[in-house]
Amino acid sequence: MSFDSPFHVTVDFNTSHMIFPTIIAVILGILFISILITRGSTILATVTSGTWWPAGIDHRRFFGTIALTVIYFLAMPEVGDLFPNTGLGFYLCSIPFLFALSTLYLHEHSRRTLLIAGANALIAPSVVWYILSELFNISLP
Amino acid sequence: MELLSILTPLFFGLVAAGTVIGIIFGAIPGMTATMAVAVCLPLTYSLGLENGLALLLGLYVGGISGGLVPAILLNIPGTPSSITTTLDGYPMTQNGEGERALKIGITSSLVGGLISLAALYLFAPALADFAIKFSYIEKFLIIFFALTVMAALSNSLLVGIFSGFLGVFISLIGAYDISRGGNGELRLVPEFLEYYLESGFSLLPVLIGLFGLATILIDAEEGMKEGKGLSGVKIGGKPFKLSVFKGQIINLIRSSSIGTFVGILPGVGGSAASILAYSQEKNFSKNPEKFGKGAPAGVIASESANNGLTGGALVPLLSLGIPGDSTTAILIGAFTLQGIQVGPLFIGNNPVTWDAMIIAMLAANIIMFLVMVLAIRHIAKVVTVPKNILFPIILMMCVVGAYTINYGVMFDVWTLLIFGLFGYLAHKIRLEIAPFIIGFILGPSAEIYFVKSLESFGTLSIFFTKSWIAILLWGLIALSIAFSISVARKKKRMSSGIDDQA
Repeated sequence: MSFDSPFHVTVDFNTSHMIFPTIIAVILGILFISILITRGSTILATVTSGTWWPAGIDHRRFFGTIALTVIYFLAMPEVGDLFPNTGLGFYLCSIPFLFALSTLYLHEHSRRTLLIAGANALIAPSVVWYILSELFNISLP
Repeated sequence: MELLSILTPLFFGLVAAGTVIGIIFGAIPGMTATMAVAVCLPLTYSLGLENGLALLLGLYVGGISGGLVPAILLNIPGTPSSITTTLDGYPMTQNGEGERALKIGITSSLVGGLISLAALYLFAPALADFAIKFSYIEKFLIIFFALTVMAALSNSLLVGIFSGFLGVFISLIGAYDISRGGNGELRLVPEFLEYYLESGFSLLPVLIGLFGLATILIDAEEGMKEGKGLSGVKIGGKPFKLSVFKGQIINLIRSSSIGTFVGILPGVGGSAASILAYSQEKNFSKNPEKFGKGAPAGVIASESANNGLTGGALVPLLSLGIPGDSTTAILIGAFTLQGIQVGPLFIGNNPVTWDAMIIAMLAANIIMFLVMVLAIRHIAKVVTVPKNILFPIILMMCVVGAYTINYGVMFDVWTLLIFGLFGYLAHKIRLEIAPFIIGFILGPSAEIYFVKSLESFGTLSIFFTKSWIAILLWGLIALSIAFSISVARKKKRMSSGIDDQA
């Protein structure tokens, strides 16, 4: 895009894909600087006082959720490749994932709560897999 | 006759199922109508458009309505839109009027839902007829207006606008769409991701990540604490009678209309609708001192307004293609899935789907009322379902939704994780999610409208001089920014006044 006069512009079709992203990037930059100028003191006060992330959060449950989710996502296609087009990658990985996540979130590890978590981990993926993959033929990993 | 062939027992069964599931989602604190629609979207793949919409609209109405249960019984808003219901609903429960408060809320929700449905039926076709005449310039300005309105109603104008433009920027990742007149060149894509990001990030995994995974991460950070139980909560007590609505008709109509109007404004959530209606009712009340201490009028205002949102939010979606709130943004996914584009031509080209949507909304409101009135004591128990059981199921459903949206692409599941983490980060640094989403959805259209207008007219001044509608839209944009600045100044004065007093 070139400016012939203050308002007149010529658009080159070959480079037209960069016009809008460039404009938006410039606006974002201006807005970011404006936020820093107008709220800089508040941001600085927040940064200098108080504790830094991740202090003060429940590390085990927060990072445990992320770690289990990443393992779940990595494992699904691998297991799915062993049983192509059956959705079993999803089904077989969801059972241990649900059980692990349920127990991670538990506050009281009794025989009863673990049994409920186990039953939930078995029943929920079975129902979802059966309805979506078997009844509706929806592709699952 | 074609419509009658769609209105099958399955259609109404799906509305009922959606409404009940929606009520359950709404009733559990931390889970929202948006999450309900996002999680259940994959179930609509093989249902067809009308049946799929029947389920999703049921979820929408049920999800908004269910929020009143924990708001009234536990003083925890089940959804953001029921925040003002806690103010008078919970004191009523403390006074032993829990069931009465719930039934007042449910009846008000029904009235709000029906009034907004009437507004949807009347206004959406008229607005669509008007919008058909819009050129790319007016369409671009409407998107710009939508972004400024949302930003103006955010906690901070600058952060709101920044979030909206960030959403636009991220939506531009990928190729400049050839099918809409672009040159097909890639931009903003790292080389190693070119294969995956040719069409950019898919909408639904982004939404599911922002509303599903991010919510779970925020809760996990806080230790996944279980909420208060219902022990000690008096649900029974003083019986509910319709006479409580005597003298409240104007409140009902005004609050429902406020909810509908706020819903029509793009991207503004239900919490704004209920706060506005509640404060208006308090201003007009002869007994404002009773508010906050268990005034039924407060529950009526809040609940009729947040359900008024449901029909209102569909008006811009079905007439302009601009979602009225984050839940209707996900509904766009349902249309896309069935190969239908929402916009000014939607109602004219799909009259049967349009009628089916109206009937589904009507049925959802009636079913919501009947289910909640008849089974409120059982529904109240839902608020105590443990999160360690629910959240893993939701995460699993999020994965199903993300994976199946493009018929089995694993990168979409990773997109869900990326945007789940982004949603968590946005929550920490207080970015505004609603403007971000609307920016993300409308970004590619805004680009086409802007660049094609420049290609055709060769001058920037055309955005100001094309038509009287363009001038009107610039006026509205200026008004929304001025409104936001004035609200910010008022807030600043109030806070400095409080500091002085201290």
